[in-house]
Amino acid sequence: MTENVSTAGAVKAPAAKKGGAGLNIAIGVSAVITIIGLVLWFMQISGGMIQTAMRNFDSWGLYITSFMFFVGLSAGGLIISSVPKAFGIKGFGGISKVAVMTSIACTCAAIGLVVVDLGQPMRVWELFVYSNLGSPLMWDIIVLATYLILSCVYLWAQIQGEKGKVSHTALRVISVIALVCAILVHSVTAWIFGLQQSHEMWHTALLAPWFVSSALVCGTALVIATVIGLRAAGYLKLDQAYLVKLAKLLAVFLLVDLYFFGCDLLTEAFPAGSGLAVVDMLVSGPLAPFFWVEIIGCAAAAVICLVPQLRTNPLLVVASLLAIAGIFCKRVQLLVGGFQIANIMDPGALTQYSVTNWEGNMAQAYSGIVYWPTPLEFGVTLGVVALGFLIFFLGLKFLPLKPADEN
Amino acid sequence: MTHYGMVIDTEKCVGCHVCALACKLENNLPDDVWWNRILTDNGGEMDFDMVGGTYPDNLQFGYIPMSCQHCENPACVKVCPVGATYKDPETGVVRQDYEKCIGCRMCMSACPYTGVRSFNWEEPKYHMDYATGSKDVPEHQKHTVEKCTFCYHRTSQGVEPACMHLCIGRARFWGDLDDPNSEVSKMVASRSYKQLLPEEGTKPSVYYLV
Repeated sequence: MTENVSTAGAVKAPAAKKGGAGLNIAIGVSAVITIIGLVLWFMQISGGMIQTAMRNFDSWGLYITSFMFFVGLSAGGLIISSVPKAFGIKGFGGISKVAVMTSIACTCAAIGLVVVDLGQPMRVWELFVYSNLGSPLMWDIIVLATYLILSCVYLWAQIQGEKGKVSHTALRVISVIALVCAILVHSVTAWIFGLQQSHEMWHTALLAPWFVSSALVCGTALVIATVIGLRAAGYLKLDQAYLVKLAKLLAVFLLVDLYFFGCDLLTEAFPAGSGLAVVDMLVSGPLAPFFWVEIIGCAAAAVICLVPQLRTNPLLVVASLLAIAGIFCKRVQLLVGGFQIANIMDPGALTQYSVTNWEGNMAQAYSGIVYWPTPLEFGVTLGVVALGFLIFFLGLKFLPLKPADEN
Repeated sequence: MTHYGMVIDTEKCVGCHVCALACKLENNLPDDVWWNRILTDNGGEMDFDMVGGTYPDNLQFGYIPMSCQHCENPACVKVCPVGATYKDPETGVVRQDYEKCIGCRMCMSACPYTGVRSFNWEEPKYHMDYATGSKDVPEHQKHTVEKCTFCYHRTSQGVEPACMHLCIGRARFWGDLDDPNSEVSKMVASRSYKQLLPEEGTKPSVYYLV
């Protein structure tokens, strides 16, 4: 996100019709990073996933963490632009199309992150031939694909609608369907984790609504930061009142998300049973840095959004970035933490495939953070994220995303 | 219906790890891959092969040989998006199709029995330059998940699993849990036993006599 703001900010205002030189540079840079990511991914496939830090006892890592995160990020745009239309209320100015574009870019990045996590990406076709419709992962693939197609249809309908080719009613119907699908996509992503009884930390009915609230937090934050960036770059004009509205909305989402976290922590800790280990791990254990960055970051962001004197543009960008960072930290806690507490702590035999720090015993292996990504994983993830940026920048360049009154 | 299960008499297990080795040889397991591991049951202390508890009166020591529990209600089968892990309708054995596995590792995450599923994180390597064990064992593949097959290539022919065959203490028993007259059914009916993580609701097919 920082990259987006800075590169967008670098675009010399007033931008030319197609976005100017800055946008071209941004497209070039993200294309190059995407290609580097592809090369690294190829290295990962050919040399083996032993080059990642994932092992049998922590079998998912940065890719799935980022997948959860990007699915969440994709929500905001779609919800921000569809809610006003669906309920026929006054919207947030002309940012609707830009917001949906961020959704499309984030969804593509999320799909890319699952693909790079697969050991056998050449067998992806099996998902459509041998589909086990009982698997939450299969549900997610179906919902995510529907979501991506719907976002594209929704964007197309808005553009056509402005030309008078799609009726207002049709647009409203599409926005209702898109809204339902957005809620579903986050719930289903949560169910990939929440339906697994084997991880106490994940196995809670709260997980799905919590994923929706987190998605709303980071999605709204992404829209705020993007819009401020694009406005500074001269790409679009937006009345400050709309930003204030968005900021208030972000504050509400932040408070709901923190409330859910509080509920979850209390429910885990109160019986003082095995759930206490989860709370200890988060509050004072190996994952404490991520926990406290989330709590303090989200609280600070909420304060900035709620206090009128603090609602200045630079601080709103700070609040948005804090909220996004906070939700990313939440994803890390959830994924790494889920594997940190094993049901059966005695590994029997520890090998280089069990955990990364396998040379001692299990207590030593689990004493720190059990999983920390390798440079290769960071590189591949960065490549996929760059792909998301590339799609967003290409959208800005080639699609009429500016508010209608400006075109 | 046939429902293959295993009974392990922990009173007879001496912790020699021969079953782990038998499994490794029979199935030609790659280096550092163990489908069958012998856990030390010493009251939660994580020291390998060490006595737990307090000296002299409260000592605890024993072994839990652990591999796939071939659950009746397997968490892994439900979550596999392509059906690469499935329950064999003939025998109730939870099987894994290496050719189908897309390497998403959803099953590893869903399985409550930490570490019974193993992913080939690189091209499988072997200490010996020839394959060991049965010729009927499917070839191990890079970036796919694998686990104990209940020696399907043997048990489907009516032959005992390799781990049971070589157990020096004769602590392992294999048979049809649905047949009340089978050796395993009689043992489960007459002896006290425990199962691993019964609270997970997976209904494991491995019984540990205590």
